[in-house]
Amino acid sequence: MGGVDVGGGGGKRKNLDSEINMIPMIDLLMVTISFLLITAVWTQMARINADAQVPGPPRPDVEQEKVEPEKQLHVMMQGDDKFVLVWKQGSTTVDSIDVPRKDVITQQGAVQVVRYPDLAAKIETEWKAKGQHTNPTDRKQDQAILHTDNKTEFKYIIGVIDAIYAPQRDMNFGAKTDKFPAFNITFAVN
Amino acid sequence: MPVHEPGRSLMRHVGLEFVAKKVSGGGHRNTNANLSLTSMIDFLVVTVVFLLMTFSASGETPVAKGLNMPKAENVLDMMDAPMVAVVGSQILVDGSPAGNSRAVEESDRMQRIDELFNILKAKRELWKQTHPNKDFPGVVILQIDQNIKAVVVKSVFQTAAFAGFPNVSFMVDRIPHTGGSHG
Repeated sequence: MGGVDVGGGGGKRKNLDSEINMIPMIDLLMVTISFLLITAVWTQMARINADAQVPGPPRPDVEQEKVEPEKQLHVMMQGDDKFVLVWKQGSTTVDSIDVPRKDVITQQGAVQVVRYPDLAAKIETEWKAKGQHTNPTDRKQDQAILHTDNKTEFKYIIGVIDAIYAPQRDMNFGAKTDKFPAFNITFAVN
Repeated sequence: MPVHEPGRSLMRHVGLEFVAKKVSGGGHRNTNANLSLTSMIDFLVVTVVFLLMTFSASGETPVAKGLNMPKAENVLDMMDAPMVAVVGSQILVDGSPAGNSRAVEESDRMQRIDELFNILKAKRELWKQTHPNKDFPGVVILQIDQNIKAVVVKSVFQTAAFAGFPNVSFMVDRIPHTGGSHG
């Protein structure tokens, strides 16, 4: 038996010392541990963000400013042997780079994990050289547009999106600075 | 017959001599070990505190049955939003059937999936009615099997966007970053 001594108890007052029975206490701790272990979530689900780039409703009352279109990175994954990275500003092609396609596929249970480390490295180099939103106070991200054919399986698409999300930059949220993906991704409609 | 307190003599009546030897020490090291109660309770309390800290009351994010989720490294934390699952050719919204992707696969053309569109639009309207003074976040999370074709992925993506959910997230299984800056 364990006891809790709170001192005192002198004179005629009731003794404040109480005893804790160790056996039920250890039982309670064991049951709590078992419950928490059984209900624990061991798989870590997460998400990869994409933006459909839907324009808002037209505002006839607001005069539209003529804004120079931003550079966008188009990632073409139609070929079996290479990716093509194209920087476009409006309809003008600024630069085009071929990246050899090397699928790094690992089997994890029933799931095939597809990764493109070479593509990720090239995209990071490109973003450092040509990215427009690099300042931590800038909440806007550079835009990447993914072009894929209709037959490509989803795991390869996720592999490419994962590579596009590899370059990360600091972004200020009030007094706090967080790492955030440098690119925002959307799909090409065609 | 008087009742006696069982003592050592009981063991002699039991035929298992090796047990008697072991229990009484019997020339070997005693098999009984002392456990420090204080350390044990400390350990148990620390374990309970750790498990309580990591406990999630909201439970596990429901994943559609038979769905092999792709895995990725560069991911964001999950958030609460309507779930659209694509398993085989079946489409589910928060676990309820919401159309079929067979027509899209067969035509091999990106197109709007009407049943999904109507259900998502109804969800959006319901949200706006229940939150009249708030901006609609327009977030939807897609759970898509790793082997689904891109034409279905793009069709579901566009349908969600047309229904008023332009912020689409793909649910993935988080994997730790492998070595190097890009793995």
